[in-house]
Amino acid sequence: MTASETRAPVAPVVAPSTARVLRHTLFDRIYHWLMAASVLTLMGTAFLPIAGFKFEWLSLHWMTGVVLAVLVLVHIVRALIWQDWRAMIPDGADIRDGFRKAKAALGGGGLVAGKPGKYKIAQKLYHLAAALLVLSIIASGLLMLLKIDTPFWKRNPYWFDSDTWGIIYSVHGFASLAMITLVMIHIYFALRPDEWWLTRSMFGGTVSRDEYVEHCDTSRWRPEDRS
Amino acid sequence: MELFRYATSIYGDSKVVIGASWDLLPWFVAAGAAFIIVHAAVKAITGRRGHAH
Repeated sequence: MTASETRAPVAPVVAPSTARVLRHTLFDRIYHWLMAASVLTLMGTAFLPIAGFKFEWLSLHWMTGVVLAVLVLVHIVRALIWQDWRAMIPDGADIRDGFRKAKAALGGGGLVAGKPGKYKIAQKLYHLAAALLVLSIIASGLLMLLKIDTPFWKRNPYWFDSDTWGIIYSVHGFASLAMITLVMIHIYFALRPDEWWLTRSMFGGTVSRDEYVEHCDTSRWRPEDRS
Repeated sequence: MELFRYATSIYGDSKVVIGASWDLLPWFVAAGAAFIIVHAAVKAITGRRGHAH
């Protein structure tokens, strides 16, 4: 009997994985932060004057709005042509797992919900709501540019009658107000400790392999390995 | 509380809608705050229940 055969069994030491997987490319992170800066600037220039902080807000507001429109256009083209846009659409498994999670949260028990792919159903629904609001704001905002003089065009408020202008301004206003709610919710989730792994990935681009395996169904999302 | 902002039409005989009412601003902020409070409470309760089992 050798010395190694008489030694008591020792549990293997499992070192935490240092492998990283890419979640957001540099292009997508730059897009996200430029969009965040645009949206916050637009909200500040829209709502601070209403809240009583008076300043010359219109020029900054419309110019930032045009920047946001260009950013969103680039994002749509990129998502449709070079990215998997289906990854952001809720599918049957998302809906089934969403119901299971809701049931478990309400104490109903039942089957355990599966893990999501790259995005959870809540993220997909959030993206859908934000897309709807931002597109409404951009479409109405671009029409509202007809009412102001800029270096590129002269105002022409007679394109629409007053009732139609009322609808356009109302769409812009209600969608902008709803964006306040959505932005608050977005920042709340980004700050929650259980979501920090996602927040970190929007800075550095990657998540650890352990986080990937813990939070995602590896058969539904197969990212690039960055180890 | 009004849902819309109104102005008098150029003919002076009727009111026309000119946009959403800014009086709604606190309600949308409150909706965001309410979601955050309810979600945080549910997470805290379900987390505690999970630890207990």
